[in-house]
Amino acid sequence: MQQLPLNVRLAEHAVFESFHAGPNEAAIACLREAAAGAGPRFTWLWGPGSSGRSHLLQAAVTAAHALGRPSIFLPMAQRASLDPAMLDGLETASLVAVDDIDAIAGDGAWEPAMLLLYERIVASAGRLVMSSILPPARSGFRLPDLASRLSTAAVYQLVQGGDEQLLRALQKRAAWLGLELPDVTGRFLLTRVERDMAALCRELERLDREALAAQRRLTVPFVSEVLGSAD
Amino acid sequence: MTSLWTDCLRQLQADLSETDFNTWIRPLQVVEDSETLRLLAPNRFVVDWVTDRCLGRIREVVARDSSDAARAVVLQVGTRRPEPAAPAAVTTVSIQLQRPSPPPGIRLNPNYVFERFVEGKSNQLARAASAQVAGNPGGAYNPLFIYGGTGLGKTHLMQSIGHVIQANRPEARVAYVHSEQFVQDMVSALRHNTIGEFKKAYRSLDALLIDDIQFFAGKDHSQEEFFHTFNALLEGQRQVVLTCDRYPKEVDGLEERLKSRFGWGLTVAVEPPEMETSAAILITKAAAEGVELPEEVAFFVAQRIRSNVRELEGALRRVMANSSFTGRPITLDFAREALRDLLALQERLVTIENIQKTVAEYFKIRVADLLSQRRSRSVARPRQVAMALAKELTRHSLPEIGDAFGGRDHTTVLHACRRVAELRETDTRVREDYQNLLRTLTN
Repeated sequence: MQQLPLNVRLAEHAVFESFHAGPNEAAIACLREAAAGAGPRFTWLWGPGSSGRSHLLQAAVTAAHALGRPSIFLPMAQRASLDPAMLDGLETASLVAVDDIDAIAGDGAWEPAMLLLYERIVASAGRLVMSSILPPARSGFRLPDLASRLSTAAVYQLVQGGDEQLLRALQKRAAWLGLELPDVTGRFLLTRVERDMAALCRELERLDREALAAQRRLTVPFVSEVLGSAD
Repeated sequence: MTSLWTDCLRQLQADLSETDFNTWIRPLQVVEDSETLRLLAPNRFVVDWVTDRCLGRIREVVARDSSDAARAVVLQVGTRRPEPAAPAAVTTVSIQLQRPSPPPGIRLNPNYVFERFVEGKSNQLARAASAQVAGNPGGAYNPLFIYGGTGLGKTHLMQSIGHVIQANRPEARVAYVHSEQFVQDMVSALRHNTIGEFKKAYRSLDALLIDDIQFFAGKDHSQEEFFHTFNALLEGQRQVVLTCDRYPKEVDGLEERLKSRFGWGLTVAVEPPEMETSAAILITKAAAEGVELPEEVAFFVAQRIRSNVRELEGALRRVMANSSFTGRPITLDFAREALRDLLALQERLVTIENIQKTVAEYFKIRVADLLSQRRSRSVARPRQVAMALAKELTRHSLPEIGDAFGGRDHTTVLHACRRVAELRETDTRVREDYQNLLRTLTN
C-alpha cells in the first residue's frame, strides 16, 4: 500500500543549520553576528546563482526574529511587485536583508531610495546585509554615491567548493529534511543531475516525497528509478 | 513573543511561501493587551500587503484562541520604542506612530567628529575650513562648499561641523539632510498639502548641512525651493554647508544662479588620500573599535585598495570581523588571507594591457603611440605615467613592464617611475592625472 505524503512542509528550510558552511565559515559567522546585532553594520555577500546567497540572507532574518529582533527580507529580483516606498521606515528593523541588490542597479527610483535607507541605517542601530552577483563597486550602480557607500560593507565572496563540498552540502540539506543520503547515492545524484545546488535541492525534495510514498531508503537503485521515471 | 502571536505565526508560515513570510511577516512587531493585538509595520506598503493577504487569517486565529471576548486586531504603521536588546515584556513598551511630517534630516552620526577625522595633505584645507565654520557659524565662510570624489570624507567633515555647533549651542536647530531627501520631503509635502510646514521647518534652522547637491541636477522645482531656503538661511546669517562630487560650476543641470550663490562663501576640495593618510585612517578606525592595527597591515591594505576610503574601511571591517570570529591576532599573513578574494579580484582586473588602454583613453592618444618609439612630450609623459602605474598596480617585474611597452629596457621603466614620483610632488596636474587614473583602474 502506498503511503500518501501529507501536504505539510517543514517550517523553515533557509536556516543556518541546513547550510553547509564549507569554505564560507567567515561569511556565515558575520551573518550570525549581524542577526544578533553585533559585528559589522554592513555586510555584502557575493557569488554566482545557487551559491547560497538567498538561503543565508533568509537564515539571518530567521535567526534575528528568533532573538526577538524585527527583521525583513527583501528579494530585489522581485522588485516589479515591490515599490521603493517599501524601504520607508526599515531603519526601525534590527536587520534588513536585501537579496539580489544588483537587480536595482540603474533604476532611477530604487537607487536613491536605497541610498537614503543606507543613510538612515547609519544613523540608527540596525544592520544591513546584502547579496549580489558581484562586489559593490562592480554591481553597476548608476549613483556613484550609492556604490561608494555600500563599499563600506564587509564584503565576502561565497565560494562554491568542488563536488565533495556539494555532496556535503546536499547531505546536510537531506539531514535537515530527515533523510539519510549515503555517500554513494549522493555521488550518483551528482553525476545525473545538474551540479547546481538549487537544482539538486529541488531533486532532493522530490526524492523525499517519493521515498516517503514508497517507504524506501535513498539507495542508488531507488534514486535511479525515480530519476528515470522523470525522463 | 506572546503565545497568541506565536500561533498566528505558525498558521501564516503554513500559508505563505518562506520568502513571503520573511518579507512581509517577519518585520511586524506586536504589542498586545487584553483587548487588542496591535501589529506594527515599518511602512504603508507592508500594511497594505498584510491587510490584503493575511489579516483575515490572523483574525481567525485570534478569534479561535482568545478564551474571553475576541480581541481586536489592529494593523498600522509604527514601531516599538525602545527596541528591546533581548526579548522583553512588551506590555511596558510604548508605541511611536509615524508622524506625517518628520523634522528634516536624520540624526548626526556620533562617529563623524573632528577628533576621528584623519588629516593629511589631501584634506588639510577642507578640515581647517570646516573647523573655522564650526567655531564661527554664519560668519565669513557662508556657505561652505566642500567638493571631491565619493568616499573621501565630505560627509564626515560636514557632520563634524554640525556636532560642534550643537555642542556649543545645544538649543541650535541643526539639520543634516541628503539632497535626495530634501527632494523627497518636498514632493511629499506638495502631495500632502503641507508645503508651508516644509518651508517653515527648513527656513527656521540654525544650520543646514546638505549632502551631495549634485542630486539637484535637472530637478528644477526642487532647485527653486532650495534656492529660496538657501537665501532665507543666508540672510538670517544661519550657516549652510554643502557637499558635492565636483566643483559647483561643473554640475550640469544646476541653475546658474545657484552655482553662482554656492561660490559666495568658501569652496574647498578634498582629494584622494596619499597612502600614508590611508594607512593612518585605517589605524584610527581600528582604534575606534578597540583594535590595535599593526602599521605593516595598515600599509598592506592601503597599498592594495586604492579606490576610496569607504572601500578601505570595508576591507578593514572584514579583517577585524575574521579576527574576532577566529580569535587569531591581526598579522600581515592573516590580513592577506582574510582579503584573499578581494585582492585576487583587484589583481585580475589590473593588467598592463588594461593600464595602457585606460591611460591612452585618458590622454586621448592611441595605445600604439604608447608602444611606439616616439618621444614627443604628448606621448612620452603618458607613457611614463602608464609605466609607473604598471609598477604600482601589477606584480610584473620591471623588465616585463619594459617589454610590454614596445620592448624597452628596464632602466627606462625605472627612470619613468622616478620621474613620475618627482612630478607628482611638484606638478599639480600630474598629481591629479595620476590619482584619477589610479582610481579608475582600481574601482
